[in-house]
This record gives sequence, C-alpha cells and structure tokens, in this order.
Amino acid sequence: MRKLSYYLNGWTILSVIIVLSLLSPMLPIIGGLLAPSSENWEHIKEYMLQDYMKTSFLLVFYTAVGTIVIGTSLAWLIAQYEFPLSRFYKWALILPLSIPPFIAAYTYSGMMSYTGVIQTTLRNVFNMPVNQKFFDIMNIPGAIFIYTMFLFPYVYTITRVFLTQQAASLVESAKLLGKGPWAIFFKVVLPISRAAIIGGVSLVSLEVLNDYGVVKYYGIQTFSTAIFQTWFGLGDIDAAIKLAASLMTFVVLMLVVEKLLRGTKQFSYSNTKVNPLPKVRLTGFRKWGAFGYVTLIFCLAFLIPVIQLIDWFVLTWGAIPNDEFTTYIRNSMLVAGIASVVIIAGSLIVGNFQRFAKGRIGKVLPKFTIVGYSIPGAVIAVAIVTMFIWLDRQLGSLYSAWGLDSTLVLSTSVVMLVVAYIVRFFAIGYNAIESGYDKIGVNFSLASRMLGASVTKTFFKVDIPLLKGAIISGLMLVFVDIMKEIPLTLILRPFNFETLATKAFQYAGDEKIMQASQPSLIIIAMSALAIFIFYRLLDKEDAK
Amino acid sequence: MKKLLALVAVLALFLAACSNSSSESAENDNSTASEEVNLYTSRHYDVDDELFAKFEEETGIKVNVISGEEDELLERIKREGEATEADLLYTADVGRLYRAKEEGVLESAESDVLFEQIPEKYRDEDNQWFGLTKRARVIVYNKETVKPEDLSTYEALAEEEWNGRVLIRSSENIYNQSLLASFIAIDGEEQATAWAEGMVNNFARDPEGGDRDQAKAIAAGIGDVAIMNTYYLGQMVNSDDPEEVKVAENLGVFFPNQETTGTHVNVSGAGMVKGAKNKENAIKLLEFLSAEEAQGTFAEANYEYPVNEAVPAAELLQSWGEFKEQEIPLSELGTNNSKAVMIFNQVGWK
Repeated sequence: MRKLSYYLNGWTILSVIIVLSLLSPMLPIIGGLLAPSSENWEHIKEYMLQDYMKTSFLLVFYTAVGTIVIGTSLAWLIAQYEFPLSRFYKWALILPLSIPPFIAAYTYSGMMSYTGVIQTTLRNVFNMPVNQKFFDIMNIPGAIFIYTMFLFPYVYTITRVFLTQQAASLVESAKLLGKGPWAIFFKVVLPISRAAIIGGVSLVSLEVLNDYGVVKYYGIQTFSTAIFQTWFGLGDIDAAIKLAASLMTFVVLMLVVEKLLRGTKQFSYSNTKVNPLPKVRLTGFRKWGAFGYVTLIFCLAFLIPVIQLIDWFVLTWGAIPNDEFTTYIRNSMLVAGIASVVIIAGSLIVGNFQRFAKGRIGKVLPKFTIVGYSIPGAVIAVAIVTMFIWLDRQLGSLYSAWGLDSTLVLSTSVVMLVVAYIVRFFAIGYNAIESGYDKIGVNFSLASRMLGASVTKTFFKVDIPLLKGAIISGLMLVFVDIMKEIPLTLILRPFNFETLATKAFQYAGDEKIMQASQPSLIIIAMSALAIFIFYRLLDKEDAK
Repeated sequence: MKKLLALVAVLALFLAACSNSSSESAENDNSTASEEVNLYTSRHYDVDDELFAKFEEETGIKVNVISGEEDELLERIKREGEATEADLLYTADVGRLYRAKEEGVLESAESDVLFEQIPEKYRDEDNQWFGLTKRARVIVYNKETVKPEDLSTYEALAEEEWNGRVLIRSSENIYNQSLLASFIAIDGEEQATAWAEGMVNNFARDPEGGDRDQAKAIAAGIGDVAIMNTYYLGQMVNSDDPEEVKVAENLGVFFPNQETTGTHVNVSGAGMVKGAKNKENAIKLLEFLSAEEAQGTFAEANYEYPVNEAVPAAELLQSWGEFKEQEIPLSELGTNNSKAVMIFNQVGWK
C-alpha cells in the first residue's frame, strides 16, 4: 500500500495544482467578502436582497422539480421501453441544450406576443380575440418553463446513462418480486439514481442561479439582478462582487454538505459490463402514451422554437450581412474545441486523484472547481481580466526581451477567453468524468497495479478505455455549453473576434430577435451535429 | 505559488500555441493596415460596421472592435489601466460616458472639426466625450383610445386618470434610469420620487420585455400609452414582420413636455480613452462619424437623430414633427444615475 501512495504523489501534486489554478482567479472575488460595506449596502439590503433572493429561490426550486420530473421520467422511458421513435429520441432529447436559454426566452415571447404566430393566427384567420393574460409568458412561471424545457437534458443525459448501465439487476429483482412499472419507478429507479439526478440537477440549479439573460428580458428580479443593479445601476462594483461572493459561498457550502453526506454511500461494481437493461416493447395505449409524452416535450423544447427561428430566418433573409459567417463558425469551433479538450484532460487527472484520495479533503477539494459555474459570468470575467493583467505585468520583462512593444499580450489574445471558459465550465466536464470514475470503481485499476503497472500506465491502459463513454459525454456537454456561452465571450474576447453567440446576442439584445435567428440557427445546427456525432460514438461504446 | 505560476504560464503558452491560427491572423490583419484605431463599443449595430469599413476605405485606418456591454467594457478598461489598447469607448448611453470620465479613464481631445460638427450641448465640457447620435424617449399612444389632446407631459402620466393604462419596461434598463435621472436634475429628488411612485400606481402590468414589447402591448389592449425610444419605433415601422408594421401604424407619437421642460433625449457617443495610443486616428474616426455623410447614414439606416445640425433626420422621424429637448447638461444624467436606481427600488418599480 505504501508503494501505491508513493506513485500517487505526482497525481496528487498535479491535481492540487489544477484545482488551485482554477480557483486562483476567484481570489479577488473571495476577497470581496472581506471588503468593508459600502454606503450602498443598507439600500441593497433593504430594497433588493430579500425579495430578489425569494424570487431566485422560487425559480431554482420549481426548475429543479420540473427538470427532475421531466428528465427522470424521460430517462426511464427511453432506458426501459421501446415505442415509436424511441431510438431517435434517445439522442434527440439532448438537443434542447443546443438552444441558448436567452434565445429561447426571446423566441417564446415572440411567438406568444400580440404579433406572434399564435395570436395573429387566432385573430386573422379565426377572428378570435384572446385574453392577453393567457399569453403572457414574461413572468416567473414563464421563466421556469423556459429553464425547465431547455435545461432538463442535464438531468436526462446523466440519469439515462446511469439507468441503462446500472439498473438492470435491481429492476429485474423488483420485477421478479412482482412490482408493477410505477412501483418500480418510484421505489427502485428514483432511489438508486439519486446520485445521478442530484449531479444533473445541481448543474441546472447553478445555471438558473447565475442566469441573467432570461430574467433581464422578462423583467424578473433575482439575485443576479441585485448583483448587476448594484454594479451597473449604482456603479458600485465592490458591493456587486461582495454579493457574488456571498452567492459563491452559499453554493460551495451546499455542495460540500451534499458531497459529505453522500461521500460514504458510494457503491462500485466489480464488473463494468453489468447486464444492460433489457428493453420492454410497449403496446396499445401505453405505447402511444409514452410516444405522445416524449413527443410533446421534444416539440416544446426543440421543434417549435426551431421552426419559429427558421420562419424568422426566412423573413429576414438578405437583411443582414452574412459574408463573415464562416469566420464566426471557425472562431466558435476553435475556442469551444480547445477549451473542452483541456477541461476533459484536467478532469481526468483530478478525477483519478479524487477516487484514490484518502480522507475528506481529497474528496471535497475537486468540488470547489464548481465556484466557476456558480456565479454570473460577468463577475467571473472581471476576475479573469484582473488575473491576466497581473500576469501580463509579471511577464512584462519577458515580453520586452522578445521584442514585443505591447505590455498586454495574454490579455489581448484569445488565451484569456479560453482560460475563462475552462474556469467556468470545468465543473461540467468534471461532473461527467467523476461519475464515469464512480461507475468503473477502483477494482480494475487496483488489479492492474497489483500486476505491476504504474498508476500512469494504468491510467492510460485501463482507466481511459473504460472511461470512453464518460469522456465523450463530458466533451459533448462542455462543447455545447461553450458554443452558446455569452457574457464571458463578449467581455474577454480579443479585438475583432466574433463568434456565433456574440452575433446572436447582439441582435437579440437590441430587440432584433428576427435577425438573431440566423446566428442562433447556426449555433443550434452545429451543436446538434456535435451531439449527434458524440452520441454515435457513445452508442458504439454502449454496444461494445 | 511559483509552481502554480509556472503551470499557468505553461498552460497559457500551450493554449497560445494551439490558438496560433486565430491570433496570428489577427496580427496579420493589423500589420497589413499600418494605421489602426481600437474601439470598445456597446453599440452593436450593423450600420456601425458599415461605417467603420467605409472609414478604413477612405483613410486606410483599420478599426478594431470589441463589442460588449458598456459597464463591463468600462471595467475592463479600468483594470487594464495605462496599458489598455482601447482608444475609444463608444456607448449607447451618455450616462456611462459620464461614469467613465468620473472614473478617470478618459482624457480630452481637441479638434476644431469636432467642435464645429457637434453642438456644445452634446459634448463633454472638457471634451472628453462626444455625442454622435440621439434618440428621444417619447410617449406613444393607441390612436383609437387616446387623443393627442389628452397627453401633455411625462408628469401627467403619473396622475389618476391614467390608472392602469401606462406601459413601460423595467427600471433595470438604462434608458429608464436616464429618464428618471433627468427628472431628478430638473425637478429635484422629491418630485422625481413622487412621479415614479405615481407611474408605478398607473402601470397596466408589471414591467416586462423591451421597448418593442410595450408597443405590442398597446396593440393588444393591455394599456393605452407607453414610454419608448423613437429608435425602436422606427425599427418597427420598417420591420420585416408585417404584423409588427401593423402594430406600429396604429400608434401615435407624442413628444411630451413641449410647453414645459422638453422631451428627454438619450445621447449615444464616444469617449477618448486616457493614454490612447492611436489618439489621432481616434479623433479622425470621431470626425468621420460626426460628418454629414455618416450622420446621414445613422439617420436613414438606424432611425437615430443626428447630432450634426446640418443633417436632417430620417423622413419617418421628420413626419413625427420637430420637438423641444430637455435643456439640462447631459452629464447630469450620469450624476443622478445611482439616485435614480435607488428611487426605482424604493417605489417598487420592477
């Protein structure tokens, strides 16, 4: 055993370095906690905090419930049953992730508005005047709908993979004991997939908590609003950072508590080839019920908004300059590609360290990387700019030795943006990789090392091949997320660096949702393609 | 700590190597154009890009752009400090230029051409920023339910008779903040607060959506009057969506406070960043943008009012008539911005 821990040292050091470098840009934000209260603090406390926190809580809570219900039920239907199009839906249900929530928010409110397709059809074709109350989506329930529809794939993806690969024996036993499908779902499926569901839903909650695009347009005041009103409206960035820091502390506490509570209840299988869940072919009304339900969700979360976007695309065709689009596509691909590869590589290292780590610190440390995902992007952007300018100053003599006349080199290059993505989305990739490690357990690796292979050799020869599925789904999630990322890309890009997301935002932010359809559709198409390709790879893995 | 730095550096170099293709091409672009000017802008209109391209064509000076949100760009400039590559900060709202000046990130620029093309009231008194276009924040009304005679001032919309009939977007929006800031400057804090309170009482619904959505809500019968920017109305009248055009056609435009303090105007403009490395080019760009040709383009393509008095507004805007503007110094909009936000919060204007 002593020998094992000796080998682990290199991994430990590397992992600690990775985690610390991800956390280092957050230092100024954490420092913000200690900053003295500004004169605005009383005002913020009295008029903003209480109400805004309540709204944030409502949004997070109902979205969490919604995504759990939809994500888990879809995962179960797809994993266990066969019905029309179920093979298509298996991957198509990930597609809603490709639509940026703020674009979805604009699209839905556009469709539901007085000039939208629904009301104009009723008015012009059927001559039916309608009560506007029923068509107003720009409110808290509307925002919950948008978040639920466009974020549930986080829960769906993770839970479905888990159920497909892990649930068979337990479900079989339950069946033998004579339990019906509903009882199995509630008594077996939900409890055993708890960890997977929590993993997915915590990403959803964080995304809701730090979102600003949807709530800003819908006029809903959340904790993010408080941060930005303090910064933009009151011009008090220190107080804004302090608010963000409190949010971050809260999130980290929740996660650590969750991890500590769950830490001891891990189970690993000695065999990765657990029998896959045998599919049950549905018949009769059950068949059409399942099909109808899944189709309804797919339409609401993907097909309808996409058709609307295509309609706008056609209406505005030729109205906006589109000769630069290949450049935007290339830029989007470039930054998303590099960042996702780096994130997954880092996650593999940290994850490998984590599973052998003795003690709670080792188990909990990687969880801290989630701070990058827990606060609004614009606040992270400030932290990243600060770090890079500091870095550039430190490297100043190096630059002049190279004969560069500029003092800002890294911070005016695309490197700053890519690092920002890594800091922000590391948790997404890590989440996927960690659950992959959880799944394969430690037995194979221990066996390999018992037979004399080093940790590093084991990592490449045993762990990576076993982790292929997790690697692919991690890459996919991170890539799709970066394609649609907005505040970081806007603030941290170098001169003349446009991506599809910045273009989409520029039009949407100026209330030109019709013009925004063009870049949005390209984002959706490219992400859909990525999802499809990754899915095919994943499927091959499953089939092995 | 050293190790950590080393790792970050290695990581950075690795990334730099990986991303060579893009950064190199950007550098190449710079080297082909010997002259350049660097712009941080929160205006992101296609018409701006067209004008920049034209400028490059005429002068050989390349315009490099980072477009983002104004406060975030301002923060980036602040943190970059003296080393910043930005020459100009171009914003859609003058309050932000004032804030930039207060933060000490701007410096003066002297140019007789600018002084001639841009009237004094649209410039900073120390010539640190220059207004380039303006939009009026007007009252639009449902032609069927409201007669223009019923309308008079912004203040009147806060009175009893408009209970449940007024539409306006959320207070988070900078145009609303500037509007209230102007009232604070003109009437004092107390009256401004009373106005905001009265408005909240008269709301037809909780504020939601953007300016265009307020116009649609009038068409839908949710309210009878709305406060919105002329710029957005111009976009709607000329929309690609025939339904939006129909909505816009049923709206009347009313310039409030003509007998009293004048209609509120937002100015969009650019400030000279302190230590600008391409200051001369930046001045040339400002001169170009405030000259008749570019001002005409702003007017025709973007429905903004030109600041250059030699240039007429777009025909559509002219059809709404001439109007008297508020006469306060524009810097007051910046001074009173945070007060305005506090008032909004106090009266519960979402």
